[in-house]
Amino acid sequence: MKTLTLRNLAKTYFDPYAGAHVNAVQDVSLEVEQGEFVSVVGPSGCGKTTILNMIAGFIPYSGGEILLNGKPIDGPGPERGVVFQSFALFPWKTVLDNVGFGPKMRGVPKAERDKIAYEYLALAGLSHAANRYPNELSGGMQQRVGVVRALANHPDVLLMDEPFASVDAQTRMTLQEELTRIWQERRPTVIFITHDVPEAVFLANRVVVLSKGRVLDQVEVDLPRPRVWNDLIEDDNFKRLSSQVLHMVRSA
Amino acid sequence: MNILLRSWSAYTRMTLRWPGLAAIVPFIPVIALWLAVTEAGIFPRAFLPGPVEVVKAFFTLTYKGILPDYLQDSLLRLISGAAVGMALGIPLGVLIGTSRWARRISWPILLFFQAIGDIAWLPILLIWFGFGITTMTFVIVYTVLFPVVLNTVLGVESVPPDMARAARSLGASRARVLWEVTLPGALPNIITGLRNGLGYGWRALIAVEIIVGTSGIGFMMFDARRAGSVVEILLGMIILGLLWYIVDAWILAPIERATGQRWGLVTS
Repeated sequence: MKTLTLRNLAKTYFDPYAGAHVNAVQDVSLEVEQGEFVSVVGPSGCGKTTILNMIAGFIPYSGGEILLNGKPIDGPGPERGVVFQSFALFPWKTVLDNVGFGPKMRGVPKAERDKIAYEYLALAGLSHAANRYPNELSGGMQQRVGVVRALANHPDVLLMDEPFASVDAQTRMTLQEELTRIWQERRPTVIFITHDVPEAVFLANRVVVLSKGRVLDQVEVDLPRPRVWNDLIEDDNFKRLSSQVLHMVRSA
Repeated sequence: MNILLRSWSAYTRMTLRWPGLAAIVPFIPVIALWLAVTEAGIFPRAFLPGPVEVVKAFFTLTYKGILPDYLQDSLLRLISGAAVGMALGIPLGVLIGTSRWARRISWPILLFFQAIGDIAWLPILLIWFGFGITTMTFVIVYTVLFPVVLNTVLGVESVPPDMARAARSLGASRARVLWEVTLPGALPNIITGLRNGLGYGWRALIAVEIIVGTSGIGFMMFDARRAGSVVEILLGMIILGLLWYIVDAWILAPIERATGQRWGLVTS
């Protein structure tokens, strides 16, 4: 059962400054199965964020196709949840109303969506912050809200665009551990964009390495779960996989 | 030095308990200076009356019912003009802010007409509509409209694109994005626009009342000039300042505190 299929995906756009067409994504084919956690890594400018934006439906693609459960995607939709590097929480809504936003758009009554939001906030250990506004929270807490806001809407696939890039290093490790725990509990299908190789390996079942708008190679990650940094930081398999991916990215 | 510091901290604590105090105390030296200059008799009394005469004039005019009537006229004109200006300005600003075509077409026109200040319209308005309510309303609506439109556009454009994307990928239609993201995101700027608009509108109103009016605070002041009553002119000026302070501190600032500042979109 394939959840998400990218077939010969391409994106060309016109750069008015260079006065030329630029191939951001050349020819990317990828299968992501339901419940899989796929990390996508690559040097900056390799097209990874462009691919994610196309899957999310934020920008149109110029060639190939994107199929979700066999159907081509058309614009943004609730079956593809997105977690942003900028968090993109609604500052004028409380944490509770941020998480309940997806259900609200589906027409779920207030009492019911509050229940859903509380359940997901508990999952991220944020029950105490339900009635606060996003700007009253730390960056790490804000992104926890960002993750459960997307999850509370039960998307078929969760798209994460360098979600932990703008939090400090310690918080980032905690968030990574929490994400693997939540993934194990809920088994969402995840596509995780990052330029941080250890992060990609730590989180994923599979790491896809991109280079110049193409898939360079893919690496299966068979590390046991649950994964915590204290165990993995000295783990030989983790170190071997990380350096393998790192060499690919460096040669890309 | 120590006494100064201690009295300053006592003053700070008092203003925290009674915020009204912080608004009144700074005026004490201003009024004292005014009193001193008039009492010293440097200028003739009819030329520069003192605070006591102005307060007396306030009570006389209030007792006669002239001041309350004029005040009501002025405020109603401002409120109705501002309401029309907002009703036109906010939707227009949202349209221009969200549509690239609307912006391209309207922006030069907006800037052009913004430059023709409110008063500059008076000559032609007087020929078209005469000395009446239509002319006054036109000028106030015109004055309020531009700051509201321009700030609404600014507000709409200041909403990060990721927020609209987030809403869309959580299942919001384009119309819901407008209501749930664009408008609340633009609200702090819309309030700023309203604040500027009301401020300009208030000034424009007084100017129009001076030229067009048959009632209102502006009319009262200009009428007093004809009668050579400096007391009433000063009273009118003081009322203008006081009223604006009340509107700004008691209505607009609390709205700002409850929205943009609460959400962290504006730093206080």
